Amino acid sequence: MPYFNKTILLAVYIWLTFVPFLSAQKTANTLIGEVYHKMNTIKAYTADAYIEADLPMIKIQPTQASILFNQKDKFKLISKGIVVLPKQGINNLPNIIQDTNSFTAVRSGKETIKDNITDIISIIPNSDTGDVVLAKLWIDPINSLVYKSQITTRENGTIGIENYYKSQKMRGLPDRIVFTVDIKKFKIPKGMTTDINRSNSIEDKIIKDSNTGKIYLTISNYKF
Amino acid sequence: MLLNSIYNEFIKIAAKPRSYISLLAVSVLVGVILFALKVDGLSYISLLTASFEQTLLFNGNILNGNLVAFIVLQLLIIQIPLLIALVTGDMISGEAAMGTLRMLGTKPISRSQLLLSKFIAGYIYTLVILIWLALMSLGLGRFIFGLGDILVLNSDGLVILQQGDTNWRFASAFLIAFLSLITVATLSTTLSCFTDNSIGPIVTTMSIIILFTIINTMDVKVFDPIRPFLFTTHMASWRSFFEQPLRLNEILSSIGILVLHIVGLMSIALYKFTKKDILS
Repeated sequence: MPYFNKTILLAVYIWLTFVPFLSAQKTANTLIGEVYHKMNTIKAYTADAYIEADLPMIKIQPTQASILFNQKDKFKLISKGIVVLPKQGINNLPNIIQDTNSFTAVRSGKETIKDNITDIISIIPNSDTGDVVLAKLWIDPINSLVYKSQITTRENGTIGIENYYKSQKMRGLPDRIVFTVDIKKFKIPKGMTTDINRSNSIEDKIIKDSNTGKIYLTISNYKF
Repeated sequence: MLLNSIYNEFIKIAAKPRSYISLLAVSVLVGVILFALKVDGLSYISLLTASFEQTLLFNGNILNGNLVAFIVLQLLIIQIPLLIALVTGDMISGEAAMGTLRMLGTKPISRSQLLLSKFIAGYIYTLVILIWLALMSLGLGRFIFGLGDILVLNSDGLVILQQGDTNWRFASAFLIAFLSLITVATLSTTLSCFTDNSIGPIVTTMSIIILFTIINTMDVKVFDPIRPFLFTTHMASWRSFFEQPLRLNEILSSIGILVLHIVGLMSIALYKFTKKDILS
């Protein structure tokens, strides 16, 4: 029995000592490669989606939708009504990280997100003509999961994505995604509004002073 | 007796060819707008959403019957009052010009009841025009473009209302639009009491609407104190039903102002018509 306890203690010691060390040894490119590989293992799925938006200049009620996904970009959202989603960020991460020769990945620190130690990887595209200017990923090196990402593009500003994993953590599919979008470019076209004689209230002023909005995508009932 | 008089007055309206100009105009105008939206509606929509679409993606059938009906109402609600005035501005002055007003005065009905029946007949005509507009915009629009959520651009931003939430909003909007249009009908009928020719009240009503609309749209502070009291300011309050949350106080205030205008104008008409020396 004492021999057994010693063996367990030794195993735990080796685990605690070497696993973080091994993960730290992984290069930024390796981490990204592992994430991409995990994303690629999912060939197709369908799921139910519930979309809520908290955007200062857009008032929209929560909407139900269905997600259809097929490998390579084919992400479809089917809904009866109008759904507002970020223009990018839902499914363009695989495109950004698929070719490791097209960017330089730099490890820029560690951060704990929801009790998970993540490595912060900055991705700088080698070409200066592409739309993506900078991408930052918070990767859990043990499970190869992206907990957070921030993508800056020339055309659409910066979008922040937070992934929450639960039921499909093993497959790397989130149950909830929170998008933080840049609304600085939102403008009301003059002469196109439908209300008249509306004085700006204090609430309106606060709205105009906000720079970001959030879109919450809750995904359930995954079917593969 | 009042009912008979209302019936007679409505028959008179129905017998005039000019009464059908409004129906024809509504049909042609709505037809042109529907055609234009069917051919190039998405580029019109992109004018509303262009700045938002730099960051966001609008998924779903945006160009649907509900949005089309809203666009039609928005474009036509300024013109419809002019078409209404074309008929209601002739209600009393037309009879005076033709020499039938004196004969009408010999009927066993009081002048106030006679005037009331003319007002009500004018309101029924207005209702017919509005129902036709609703059928053309909402009915035909939904038939051609299908159902869907409605996307409305206000000064605060975009409001997206779900399909299931639109029917009562349209019904309420049409009720307020009806109140706005009968305000115009009341104005032109009232002006009609002051003259013996039809052109005067019709042109005066149109001029008042144009003047008040200019005052509304000009962003000049000097007009700020009077703007809330102009009936044209509140003619657009039907659009308040497409806001989230609903600004009920503003809607009630608009209803109050419009009702005050109707009552005030009717009182002036009643005073003038009962005192009027009918010579022809």
